[in-house]
Amino acid sequence: MLLSPCSLNEAGESLPNVASGNGRDGPRDRCRIGKLQYPGARRRLRVKSSESSSPGVTDQKITSRSVTTVRPYQLRGRFLTAIALRLEGAADRRMLAELDSQLRQTPQFFADAPLVIDLEHAGAEVVPEDLATLVEHLRYRQVSVFAIQGGSREQKAAAATLGLISIPVGGDTAAKATDLKDAPAAVAAQGSTVPANRLITTPVRSGQTIMAEKGDLTVVGSVGSGAELIAAGSIHVYGQLRGRASAGVFGDETARIFCQNLDAELLSIAGLYRTSESLDSGARKRSVQVFLQGDRLCVEAFG
Amino acid sequence: MSKIIVVTSGKGGVGKTTTSAAISAGLAKRGQKTVVIDFDVGLRNLDLIMGCERRVVFDFINVIQGDAKLKQALIKDKRLENLAVLPTSQTRDKDALTREGVEKVLNELREEFDYIICDSPAGIEKGAQLAMYFADEAIVVTNPEVSSVRDSDRVLGLLNSRTRRAEQAGMEPVKAHALLTRYDTARVARGEMLTVEDVLEILAIPLLGIIPESPAVLRASNVGTPIVLDEPSKAGTAYEEAVARLMGEQVELRIATNERPGLFQRLFKRSA
Repeated sequence: MLLSPCSLNEAGESLPNVASGNGRDGPRDRCRIGKLQYPGARRRLRVKSSESSSPGVTDQKITSRSVTTVRPYQLRGRFLTAIALRLEGAADRRMLAELDSQLRQTPQFFADAPLVIDLEHAGAEVVPEDLATLVEHLRYRQVSVFAIQGGSREQKAAAATLGLISIPVGGDTAAKATDLKDAPAAVAAQGSTVPANRLITTPVRSGQTIMAEKGDLTVVGSVGSGAELIAAGSIHVYGQLRGRASAGVFGDETARIFCQNLDAELLSIAGLYRTSESLDSGARKRSVQVFLQGDRLCVEAFG
Repeated sequence: MSKIIVVTSGKGGVGKTTTSAAISAGLAKRGQKTVVIDFDVGLRNLDLIMGCERRVVFDFINVIQGDAKLKQALIKDKRLENLAVLPTSQTRDKDALTREGVEKVLNELREEFDYIICDSPAGIEKGAQLAMYFADEAIVVTNPEVSSVRDSDRVLGLLNSRTRRAEQAGMEPVKAHALLTRYDTARVARGEMLTVEDVLEILAIPLLGIIPESPAVLRASNVGTPIVLDEPSKAGTAYEEAVARLMGEQVELRIATNERPGLFQRLFKRSA
């Protein structure tokens, strides 16, 4: 078991925990779960009671984490930096020769480097055959070309046959929405949002107020008693949280508060709050996440 | 290059003035030219603890207002030739302090002294803010109890935001040290006081020293002798070790147990 969630309802009472019952280990309990749930989606699940003696099927709200932790894999976002080779004319012999001389000058820079062929400004001069030659050439030179960006429908089709993916261009995705009909929505949205997160790497002292008006607030260090964190998005504290933390202050109900060691005076998400008095002692001094479930503020301990 | 060190705490009664006196005397004892300034305008105490209250003619406020020269106001200590005291006014209040005036006096002192110790008043108002504004380093005096620790945390926040080093780009922030005073090992063991670890976990700054609770401190204050110049005591030794660390020496940190009168002392009933 990775996690032993202790979800609390408004009255501070502990909810039944799927993965803890009668000394059973996680995987066996998992078999009893009627329906599998995907991360991020919180909905009612039909769960068999973990008590083997009780035959009844109870309808319980459980957190998604308790179900998903037993999965053998995790999905993670991943960003990487790649070199873009922007073509501004035909990919002919002359261009290949020039490229070769550059590769020779800085071989270590290009060795196994992920590379994207940018066809944005190439026009129709780069015919599918040229593209094939270029890709072959680059691969021969140990450059890991893996994608094209921009380009016509025909060029994209040619790239696909060469095993290249087509990635949308950052800024102008909206303008070319028709072109990107097939692209996954998540990829299309990326790049157009400007992050407005705030990072604090010093301890937040008593009496200080730190505000992230547009995004998430991350504090690397502890937050003293009498200090205040306010964020439009989520709050992350890598240290002890002794002060107040208000996430989703402009009404974002999906905002969460994460902290390494909870000892907060007040926790609030989208206006719903708990004071330290109404916090369950089981969550105190532990790593927790705090989130809204309907109109309930849940405090769930990790590990 | 001279150093301006503010002794501050937020909370009152934790031992700022005792510490200012002990640290400045300790530095002077080690051959450093040291001056200690009382910023507690209106509640003058430093001169009493330094034992020079009868020699005050002009004070810090007189110098700021141009009524006296700095040389006239500085009181040379009779025990240590490297030590000087700049007392404050008992009749004025904190409004008599101005940032320009303080800066002018500090700049003048920088030319002559290696260490300038600023004894801050309690609180976080004007007097305390001016005491810390020009500081290069800070000694945050804390007692092992929650209210003192929280106030110290607040003061650390001010040191990081309301000082010249915080306001001017390109300057290192004020280097803060924690000094735990009135530490009573017996009470800590009984759970009545916070432990060193608890305090440091909250303040997250390096520890300069731990001064044990000791009747010797009060006795020394009452006779106007900085504790390091008084007869040997555990508190005095702890201050001397703190001074060594302040000067950059590596001294192992020990937690001295409280001074309880021994059998011999009790038999002879030594009085303060």
